[in-house]
Amino acid sequence: MIGKRKRDKSVVSRSTIEDSSDSPSASTDAAHDVFRRYFEAKFQPLKPQSVQKAEPGEGMDDHLDESVTGSDWDGLSEGEEDEGEDEEDQGVEVEVVDHTASYNTKDDLLDKKARKAFMSAKVPSSVTASRSKATSTKDTEKETKKEEGEDALDVQNLKNDLALQRLLRESHLLDSASDLAPTGKNRHKAIDLRLQALGAKTSIFKQEKMPSAHRLGINAKAAMKEDKRRREAKENGIILEKPTFKSNASDAKRRERGVGGPSIGKFAGGALNLSKRDLARVQGPSRRGRGKGKSRGRR
Amino acid sequence: MATSQPPLRFTGHKNLVHRLVLATLTGRTVHISQIRSSSPTNPGLAPHEISFLRLLESVTNGSEMEISYTGTILVYKPGLITGSAAGHGTSGGFIRHELPAGCTRGVSYFLVPLCLLAPFSKSPMKVTFTGPGVITSATPAGDLSVDSVRTAILPLYNQFGIFNNIELRVLRRSNIGAHGKGGAGEVQLVFGHQVRLPKTLHLLNPGRIKKIRGVAYSVGVAASNNARMIEVARGVLNPLVPDTYIFSDVSSAPLVPAPERNNASAKKKFGLGFGLSLVAESSTGCFFSADVVSPPSGGQPPEDIGKNCAYQLLETIAKGGCVPPAAASTMVTLMTMGSEDVSRLQIGRAVIADENLIQVARDLSKFGAPGWGIRDAAGENEDGDVIISVVGRGIGNVGRKVA
Repeated sequence: MIGKRKRDKSVVSRSTIEDSSDSPSASTDAAHDVFRRYFEAKFQPLKPQSVQKAEPGEGMDDHLDESVTGSDWDGLSEGEEDEGEDEEDQGVEVEVVDHTASYNTKDDLLDKKARKAFMSAKVPSSVTASRSKATSTKDTEKETKKEEGEDALDVQNLKNDLALQRLLRESHLLDSASDLAPTGKNRHKAIDLRLQALGAKTSIFKQEKMPSAHRLGINAKAAMKEDKRRREAKENGIILEKPTFKSNASDAKRRERGVGGPSIGKFAGGALNLSKRDLARVQGPSRRGRGKGKSRGRR
Repeated sequence: MATSQPPLRFTGHKNLVHRLVLATLTGRTVHISQIRSSSPTNPGLAPHEISFLRLLESVTNGSEMEISYTGTILVYKPGLITGSAAGHGTSGGFIRHELPAGCTRGVSYFLVPLCLLAPFSKSPMKVTFTGPGVITSATPAGDLSVDSVRTAILPLYNQFGIFNNIELRVLRRSNIGAHGKGGAGEVQLVFGHQVRLPKTLHLLNPGRIKKIRGVAYSVGVAASNNARMIEVARGVLNPLVPDTYIFSDVSSAPLVPAPERNNASAKKKFGLGFGLSLVAESSTGCFFSADVVSPPSGGQPPEDIGKNCAYQLLETIAKGGCVPPAAASTMVTLMTMGSEDVSRLQIGRAVIADENLIQVARDLSKFGAPGWGIRDAAGENEDGDVIISVVGRGIGNVGRKVA
């Protein structure tokens, strides 16, 4: 089928050439151009030998054609056919991919990151390399700018977060009228809260010195409150946590002594007084204790 | 323990370095005779072998070596591998090892065995190779380039749990000098990960090649040589692996002093040339490398070198298995030094049939390592790969045992 069409085609072109030889030079050029275009479109992939082979056959057909049909009509049909054929040719044009010489030059623009990662003294590990490859894009500048922007945004977000947390925690201190940054008494309270949140043992508002009666009163009140709470809970059948007895830790532990003082005994009136316990401590465990049954005559 | 045992006897100069490494690792005395005894012109130990003995002496403590008058007999009694301990010939933490001008082997000849010793040393191994014999490029003798050592050999230690603080710095590049002797490069090895025992290895899946990296280096010649090598090599490799990048490294030629009669401080350029190192990494972490370098006599266009190197890489990959021939002895030795457990490794048939690897296996068995179990690889095994099972000796690091 295709071969036949080809031949048909060539017939037409040939006839135009012969026409053009009769007609003026302008039409000769046009026809020549058409022929050239057609030839290029059709025969470039073929070897020159095959082209030459095709020609004698064409000549025979040519004569026949000329004798049968008028040259004008031929020209018209040739034009139409030629255009259609041209379009068809362009539509199915074979894409030529040459692997031997060229490669995608875009890939050649290596990002410096990959180069740095590979060419450093370190052993290139596949994990880091792939990660860097994943992050690296063709235009690293944009990336860095983006990162900078993200960093700034992160910092801003963190700040806002902190402010919100503080507001939530300290909002009970604030009057509705005052702004976010507390002042005066409220500021001190807010700072106290923050200190406690950071791990301060006691509040800075805790009163340390007060009259003895005052303190006793406070303790008694606290004890009474606790007692009441427990009693009521018991009456209502609610089980509470076990009461914690405040062990008098300060008695059991040794008192904090000054630096440079005697490590044993009590210094009073220019003399070091040692109690019996102190003496026992200095002397160490008695022999009797160790000897168990082997008591000598001393007893 | 080593003193009570009689020395192991070997003959010939082949595989000398690996035998010395094994002797050091196992603590056995070796007696190597008939070293090039049949050569009328150059009998005995070659300059690079003497250099390696010096290197061994500087990284160990208590080694003794005796070389016969002609150099054809060597007795080596190994000591403890100390690495670059302070006050033991180190300056700035680095042992400085100078290679003589007559050295014909690349610096990888020293680096690869040194890296085998390094994980078992007492302190970090830091060595600077310098002097007029340091060839950083590949050599016609078959040595790898430093780039291949760094990118194809050192990553293998990762499989044995040795990965921290390992660096190979190329301070100055150099190709092979005139007449195929010497270079003038400078290389620093930092091997800071010492282990008691390397991990047991099970590498049974070669995977698929996922990326190819490479370094094209030219020393003292035009950078366009690099571009030409890269162009051709990528032309071959790119259709097969799209993720192919070859980096270019251009450096000026090192200057070596060459005093003349009227100019005592004259210097001349040394070790010019160019070369290409390619490394393919598979999806399971296997590395295959190829190295081609311009011959010292010159006369080979960079296109040829690029093409040869690409084809060599493809050939290495085609041999199959998880290790290329260049890395096989390293892998096998580390497996043998591992804990008393069976480690398995898939190896291409052509790789295990290699004369070198068979010699390694014989040496290992002579040093008391149990034999290998060999069976055909399971699964779809088109290349006819085999799996070798190696039982570790559990010796590991003697220095670590005490510490």
